[in-house]
Order: sequence, then structure tokens, then C-alpha cells
Amino acid sequence: MRYLTGIHLSRRALLRGAGVTLALPLLESMIPAGMRTAAAAGAPRARLACVYIPHGCIMNRWVPTATGRGFELQPILKPLEPYRDRLNIVSGLKLPAAYVGESSAAANHGRSSQCWLTCTPQDTGPTPTSADQVAARQIGQGTPLPSLELALEAGASIAYLSPQTPLPMETNPRVVFERLLGDGSTPAERAARQRQLSSLLDSVTGEVAALKRDLPGADRERLDRYLTDVRELERRLALAADSPLASIEVPDKPNGIPADFEEHAMLMFDLLALAWAADLTRVATFMVSRELSNRVYPKSGVTEGFHNASHHSEIPANIDRLARLNEYHTRTTIAYFLRKLASTPDGGGSLLDHSLIVYGSGMANPNQHDHDPLPILLAGGGVGRLAGGRHLRATDGTPFANLLVSVLNKLDVHVDSFGDSTGAFEI
Amino acid sequence: MQRRAWLVAVSVTAVIGGGAALHQAMRRTADAAPRPVLDRYCVGCHNDDDLAGGVSFTKIDKSDVGKNAKMWEAAARKLRAGLMPPKGERRPERAVLDAAADWFERELDAAWDRAPNPGVRPLARLNRTEYANAVRDLLDYDANGIAATLPADVSVAGFDNIAAALSVSPALLEGYALAAMQIGRRAAGDLSMGHSETRYAAAPGNSQQRHIEGLPLGTRGGIAVEHNFPLDAEYEIAVQAVLPAAGWGNPTGRMVWCDGPSVELAFNGAPLALDGHRRIRVRAPAGPQRVTAALVDGKRCAGVNELYLGEVALEGAVLGIVIDGPYNATGAGDTPSRRKIFVCDPRSAADEAPCAARILAQLATRAFRRPVSVGSAELEQLLEFYRLGRGEGGGFEVGIQYALSRLLVDPRFLYKFEREPPDVAVGAIYRISDLELASRLSFFLWSSIPDDELLEAAAADRLRDSQELARQVERMLADDRAQRFVENFTGQWLRLRELDDFPSQDPEWDADLRAAFRRETELFFADVLREKRDVLTLLDADYTYLNERLAAHYGIDGVRDSYMRRVALPPDSPRRGLLGQGSLLTVTSAPNRTSPVGRGQWIVRNLLGAAVPSPPPGAAADLAKEAVAKTQLAGDTVRERLEMHRANPTCAVCHAIMDPVGLALENFDLVGRWREQEDGHPVNAATELTDGTRLAGAADLRAALLSRSDAFVAALTERLMTYALGRELEYYDRPVARRVVRDATAHGRTLQALVQAIVASDSFQERVKTGADTTATGVAAQARLE
Repeated sequence: MRYLTGIHLSRRALLRGAGVTLALPLLESMIPAGMRTAAAAGAPRARLACVYIPHGCIMNRWVPTATGRGFELQPILKPLEPYRDRLNIVSGLKLPAAYVGESSAAANHGRSSQCWLTCTPQDTGPTPTSADQVAARQIGQGTPLPSLELALEAGASIAYLSPQTPLPMETNPRVVFERLLGDGSTPAERAARQRQLSSLLDSVTGEVAALKRDLPGADRERLDRYLTDVRELERRLALAADSPLASIEVPDKPNGIPADFEEHAMLMFDLLALAWAADLTRVATFMVSRELSNRVYPKSGVTEGFHNASHHSEIPANIDRLARLNEYHTRTTIAYFLRKLASTPDGGGSLLDHSLIVYGSGMANPNQHDHDPLPILLAGGGVGRLAGGRHLRATDGTPFANLLVSVLNKLDVHVDSFGDSTGAFEI
Repeated sequence: MQRRAWLVAVSVTAVIGGGAALHQAMRRTADAAPRPVLDRYCVGCHNDDDLAGGVSFTKIDKSDVGKNAKMWEAAARKLRAGLMPPKGERRPERAVLDAAADWFERELDAAWDRAPNPGVRPLARLNRTEYANAVRDLLDYDANGIAATLPADVSVAGFDNIAAALSVSPALLEGYALAAMQIGRRAAGDLSMGHSETRYAAAPGNSQQRHIEGLPLGTRGGIAVEHNFPLDAEYEIAVQAVLPAAGWGNPTGRMVWCDGPSVELAFNGAPLALDGHRRIRVRAPAGPQRVTAALVDGKRCAGVNELYLGEVALEGAVLGIVIDGPYNATGAGDTPSRRKIFVCDPRSAADEAPCAARILAQLATRAFRRPVSVGSAELEQLLEFYRLGRGEGGGFEVGIQYALSRLLVDPRFLYKFEREPPDVAVGAIYRISDLELASRLSFFLWSSIPDDELLEAAAADRLRDSQELARQVERMLADDRAQRFVENFTGQWLRLRELDDFPSQDPEWDADLRAAFRRETELFFADVLREKRDVLTLLDADYTYLNERLAAHYGIDGVRDSYMRRVALPPDSPRRGLLGQGSLLTVTSAPNRTSPVGRGQWIVRNLLGAAVPSPPPGAAADLAKEAVAKTQLAGDTVRERLEMHRANPTCAVCHAIMDPVGLALENFDLVGRWREQEDGHPVNAATELTDGTRLAGAADLRAALLSRSDAFVAALTERLMTYALGRELEYYDRPVARRVVRDATAHGRTLQALVQAIVASDSFQERVKTGADTTATGVAAQARLE
């Protein structure tokens, strides 16, 4: 592979490069493959995961009453007690972008997840790239996958390359496994398949220029996106060829989506931890469920569908019921993930020490479909840059984007502002 | 705040004269704007101050509706569906409103004729369903399993084939590339492939207690799958089953193998641990084979199906089948896909190159939907890959596998290209080429690529002949592949796709009921299509399709066994038409109760074609506050909770439209069973529609919809057009839709006539040239009108 090109180049640069395999200007984002080895040898790498839960939660059972360090964990977050030292609960944040647009309930649900990491009103603004993708552009270029998008339920996404390009989120553990490790049943077979894939993509790249002739301008742009993706895949293949997988214990290939929610969640978080441990990616987004999902979680003891349960009408029994579901999600998803990370060694510490995880929702009280104050917490040590064991209270109405600015900066992704941020919320 | 004012605004315009007089006045001045109607019944709210719904009629030029076509289209639609003026406001008799709607539509149609606009569909890729179908038609290979691992497509405007939403991403492309490699290997028969495991899970729940259609008589529960065995080889097949601890008299596991003799599994009375399984190793020929497994209870007489119906006391079930292989392969075998691919067999090394060229030219022609000749540059690209594969040491067949993979990631296969003719001016309308039209047609009716006959007609420019085009449409609808249109269209329009994952908590909800629901509606729709019945049959039919399970569910006697058959319905049956079908009644319910709002909203949107207004800001919060204030109401019947909705003026605006429609169906419970009582109280399905029509229940709702059949036919047509064009409809498509309805009505108003009229329409056959403009498509096209 000559140069690394990819999704992170401007479309115009690619246009110029289309059909011409060299003479591309060496842009900042075009990092040669060799860089990765250099980075791998150095200090521990920071990883980012943004984990989304829909339908908000019962806020007074999430937010601790005391601020600072001496707080008591509320019931919904109780399962995180063992990782208290690695937690920062951030309360008082708001998602202003999610208020912009059609005011129907369905639209508010949709925007809760769509705006969560873009912090930009839909269909406006020049750069509604989501925060994880901003991070991937900087810290994801040295790995085979700039980012990994996972979900336990299909049909939505929180990761956006552009407003027209939400990144699909994968729910099938088997497919994730194949994306991480390649198709085939033995390492030799996998290597042969990767070689074939590589030549397939090479061959396709060459013909796109000819295909663009006589297409309307808008269609040419769509075809360019296809080309961009082809090149992105080529780049990944080149990086994967020298992946340090030898030192990682590769589990058996999963067979499909487990019917049991908890098993599914564990498998997907295991795969994400594997991807981090093997340095196949450093950035991930994860949706525990999607907005408006009416999935039933039989093991939670709640028989009502999730979305129905979220409409608690402020009735105490219904509030209890939703809080139970909220606690169930904490216990079966983020708590498991943190346990897995804490027990996975990584460069003299654990993966938990070297990661930064944003967990929460873009909705606050689901009964009102509002987006203020949000349930948000940070986990992980951020490679020694993030203290823990704190409840930080933001001034009411502080944009969630202000927190994301600080999160990005902790990861050495230097931004002054992001989305509708009004500053940085210091962490 | 502005909107709140609108909600309580009451028209104070003085009313002069009655509705009938007005109607006469309207008739006399048939060509004048229905200004009196607007002034009298609309501007009380739709004025510059109140701006109800963001609409004001005060200062708008009413002499040329073409200037504000978008707004007037919406207004005409509200009138057609009887949704305006809202309840509580002054309303003339229906004929007056219909005449106003007529006038607007006539003017809008005339404006369109002066400045036609067929719209533009952006470049689309094949969606997952189309991809799997195209592979099937191209290679005679079932790629559904492989396609299922591709990222899911986004649904827009109710359909997953909308071009604008079919974008690509690296993950998607990687999925397509991996799928292409797998399909290439498997369809051509790759002798070097390693073994892998495929798991099939049996439908859980009650289904395991009954006989399953397609399994041998006398068996209970079980699973039947069609497995594509990749090679002539050995395979390990494991049946996972649970047998009751106490045991039956002499339970026997039975596996029926490849339609041949059944293999007795060694269950025979031997105790088997929970989740135990039995494994056998068999030699199987390559190709699709049916594998089934079921339990036989040795205590009961075999062969008597009814014995198991309604039986729920038995424990034990087949959980699934696992197939692992291939082992010790002896050859690629004679499979349908190999027959389709290898149309020649090189006898010598010198034969290989011409044979490869012949194979690939034929496949590329079908895959790219245009003639690809030997010697062309396109073919050369594939041959290059053939040579690469051949050079890897696997010989001729591996070369073909490589070329197949290459073919399946080619943008010409994955995308639906439509080119702009160079000799047409930007902004001008042109007819798409016959080959492009053939693709539009096949993706509409078959969700797949054209067949050879259609392609040949297109290549010879014969589709320009409207009679030939109509003949092709008729032929395609008669073909088995039209079943895909039935499944994909009803799957989305009538939401049948949601049935599989629908989390209903009704105790009877299981795989059998889901399957029967889906098949009833599909068979019903297919019948209306194939038998060329009036589309109003969809609302009111004297027949439906049932099997024993579904008939029992509906309380209909005399239907035995598990196959679906046509059953006549008496005039007073609640099951007449779509509104009586369990499928629709279930997916529009909540998992644990009926949802009159959900049902009403679906009907208003899909059968009347009206947009349901959005709640103004703060509506949900207001309702929550009110709920707290009236907690004594909460938790009571659904109906009482809805009364609260409608008592609140903020909510009432929308809910006064949707709720009555849904409430009329309250005699159907959450899975569509008929009920006279709910929780010990008599069901009250009496309600009143926005236009004042009083309904006693479901039958009256059906009659009310039939009395608005124009709105229904228009709504159905627009759903069909959205699906056919693969883009969201815009206001400038409405005149085309009305023409489609008029043309179809002249030909019996059948579904086939609607399909024919859509295919014949300008929107289906034409495009606007947008040139280098990248801002897109709809915008550029819309500019033509302004």
C-alpha cells in the first residue's frame, strides 16, 4: 500500500486523487502504516468508548445527593460501586441541539440519540461529525479500524461521519469477530482471504473514474463516497497485516446473536475489550438499545416493554419499574464492561486505567421527552489524566458538548469547541 | 405560544347562508377559487396572526395555485380525508368541502401540466433484500444467510429501498466484499474450503407442542430447514432436544434426511440430559437439501394430526439443528448454482480462456443489467481477476470463483446507475434509456435484476412501445418472482416484517400465530393482485385465508389442519378486509394492551394518506402535569386515559383525529381476537370521527373508510409510488399520483392497473437533468416550478 488514504480526507482531495494512485498531497491525516508500530512501542494508548442508553432514566435515582468525593451511589448506579475510584458522575448537563426541530415525541426520541455525540441540530451546521469520529480522525488512524460501532439492537446509530452518513452499528458478534480477525476458520485461511480482498478492492478502485462519466453531480459525489470507502478498507487491510494478534488469546468464533440479552451484551463487550487489547481499534460507540425500542427484558423482572415503561406518567409504581430497568442496564452492560476492562492487563496497568468511557443518554426524563439534565457518567483513568471517585455538578444547562470538549482534550484530541459547546467543562 | 393561541382560536367569521346554498354557488362558478369556503371555514385559524399549523391563507395568491403548490396540496389532502375543519369548528356539509378539494386538485394538475416535473432519484445501491434476490437470480444460489450479516438498511418514508438513504460506509462495503468472496466460493464450489458450523434454532414456545406444517404427520413440534450443502462431502448433524425427565412412553427422535429415508436418532426411551443432543455423520450431495427433525411420541398413534392440536401438557422439544462441515469432500457436485455458472466445460487448456470469457460475459450482462460483450473493457476487468485466481494454483474453477467475487463488488452490480444524456440541456426533462427502465421495472416488481427476456426487450429498445411495456408488466406480475413485491411491499406498508420480533405478551403469541398472521395478509394481498380485484377489496372482502390455528383464533369453525386456504366470510364477519386481520391489529398494538392511538395513527396515515400533526412544544410536559393532577384516572381503562388526552386542548388537536379511529377497533384485543369485554367491563367501541360520522365499532369504521374510498385509493397509490420510485414523494408528485388513479380507475381500479399506470407515468420513465449541480436532485428539480 503506497499511501494511506481514507474517510478522513476531504472529498475534494479524493476527487483529485480518483484514478491517480500517487501524487496525493501528504496531508496530516495520511499517516503511513509504519507510524503505528512506533506508537505501539511507546506509552500506553488512550481508548475512548461512548455507550448509549435510550429513554433517559429516573434522575433522582441516578444523581447522588452529595457532590465531590463523599457521595453515596444511588440505586441505578449501585452496581458500579467496585469501580467507584474510576468513576466521575457529571450532573446538570443539557443537550440543546436535541430541542431543535419538530416537537413530536418520536422526533424528540430520534434526536436524543442522533444529537448525543454530534451536539449539532439535525440538518444544520457544516460539521455534524460525532465526537467519537472526531477522536477517530486523530487517534484511530494508526489502527486497522479507526472506530468500531456496536449495538445490542439494530436500527439506529450514534456515530456520524456526516449528517447523511450515520455509521451502521453491528449487532452480530460473529460479524464483529470477522471484522476484527478476518473471514476464515484458520489463521492461514484468514491471511489468504485478506490477500484476495485486498486485490479485489485494488481492482475496483481503478474503474470508478470511468463510471462517473455522464452521471449527475450529486451521483458522482455518492460514487466518490464508495471510492473513499474502498480506500479506507485497503488501508485497514494494510494495517491488519502487522497486527500484534500473536500475543492475544483469540476466542472461538461466535455463532450469531444470542437470544439472551445478557449473554449478547457480554459477548459484545468481550469483543470490544479484545479489539482494544489487540490494538485493532481505539475508538468505539455502543448502543445498549435504541430510542423507542419496546424490547422486554425478562430477567429484569419488568414485563413491560422498555419504551412503554419509560412513559411512567409520574406514577410512583411506574417510576419504580423504570428505575428497576435502569439499574438492570447498568448491571448487565456498563458494570460488566468495566469489570472486563479492569481485569484485562494493558501496558503495566489495566485497560480500565487506559480508557475513557462516556456512559449515558441524550434524554433526561422520558415522560417529558426532555434533554436536561442528562444522566451522564465518565469511567476509566484516561491514562492517568483523569481522577475518579467524584460527583461533578455542572451549572444547570451546561451543554453536554462542553464535557465532550474536555473528554477529547484528555485524549490528546485538541479542540477548542465542539458542536454547540460554550466552553470546556473541566474534569 | 403562537401555536397555543391557535389551539383555542374559534372562528368568529360571520356565516352567511347555509352549506347547500354555498355548494350551489360553487357549482355555478366551477372555475373560480373556492374563496368563500376558505374565508368562511379556514382563515379563522389559518391567518397571519394565528398561523395554525404554520399556515396562513390570508395573503396568498389564490388565483394561481401553482405558486404555492406544496401548501395547496396539503390543504386538498386534509379536505379529502375529512380532517379539516377540526372538530368543534364550523363545518359545511361534505359536498362543499369535496368540491373545494376538487377545484384545488384540478388547478394543481393544470399547473403541473404547464410545468411538468418527474423528479430525480439519486444514485442508489441495492439494499440487502435486493442484493440477496439478485444473487439468487444471477447464480441460483440462496444468499439470504450471507446477506443477513450485512448491516441493516435504513428505512425512510416507511420503505428500505429509498435511494437517498442507501448510502455506503466502510463497514457496509466490507460486508459486501466479504459476502462477495463467500458467495463466489460457495456458488462455484470451492474444494479448499474449511469446515464451519451453521446453527438453526427451532421456533420456541407453543409451536413445539403442535404439528408443524411441512413435517411428517404424527410428529410434534420440530424444525425444518433448507440447508445449502457447499460440496459433496460428509457433514456432522446434531439435533439438540430436550426430553421430559419423566419420559414419555417411548419417545423417538426422528430426523428426516434429504427427503429420503428418515434416520432414527437413538432417543428411544433412553434418558437424555437437558440440552442433550444427538450427533450423526452423513454424506450429503452438494446443493440445497431439506433437513428436518421432530419428536414422535411413541405412546400415541402416528399419523393423526389432530391429536396434537391444543395439546400443551407435554414437555420436551427440539431446540435446533447444527450442521458442521464439509469433511472429506469428494467433489464440487452438481448444484443449481454450478449449473447456472458453468455453461461450458473446458476440455483442454486452450479451451479455458474462451470458456471463461463466455461464462463471465453472460453473468456480467445479467449482473450489470446491460449487454457486456466478449472483448469489452468491462469483461477484461473480470478476466484479469479470473487469471489472478487461476494463477493461485486452483485452476480454472478457482479463477471463475475469483472473477465471481469481483463481479459482485463491482459498482455496476451494486449500484443502479442512471446516466444523463449529454445532448440534453440542464433542467430539461428526458426519458431514461430502455435498459434503465428495465432495471427500474425489475427492482419494482421483483426486487431484483431483470431476466433475459426483459433485458433483451430493453436492449432492442422495445420498451418504448407502451403495449410491449404493459405486456412485460403483466408477464412479470404473473411470474413467481412477483411474490417478492407482495412480501416487500406488504412487509413494510402493512408492517408484516415487524411480526417476527414483535414482543407481544399475550400468552398465545408464538411462531405459529405470527406465521399465520403474516401469511393471511400476504395471501390476501396476492389474491387481490393476481385476481385483478378492485383495490377496495382490501378494505372489505367476503373471504380471507386461514388455517386451523388462525381460524380458532378468530373463532371461526370448520377449518382443519395447518395449511392456509381461502375461507368465505359472511357479511357480518368482523374479519372482512385488512382492518379485521390479526397481523395489522397486533403490530399497531402495544406489547401488553391495545393502542387506539397506534391503530388510529396508522390508519389515518396509511389508509387516508394524511399527515398526523405534530404536538406543539411542551405538549408531553403538559400532559404529564395533568396526569399527576388526575392520578385517579391513570391505570383505568385505555379509553379513560384517552379521554384525558382529548380533554386537554393541546393534545386534542391530534388525538381527536386519531383516537376515534382506533377506538372503533377496541373489540379486537392486543392480538386481534374478538372481545366483548375487557377486564370485566363491556368494551365500548362507539366513537365519532372528526367529520361527525358516528361509529358503533369496527364495521362502521370499515363503512366510513369505504365512503372515503378516494382518499384510500390515493393513499395506497402514493405508497406504491414511493416504493416503485425508490424516493420520498414530493408535492409535485401528487398530480402524477392523481393521474395514476384516474388511469387505473378507467381499468377496473385493480392493483395491477395501478402498477401499470405507475410504470406508464412520467415519474417512472423520466428524469430532470441536473448536470454538475451537487446540491442535489429534489432541490434542482423543484426550482423548475418556481
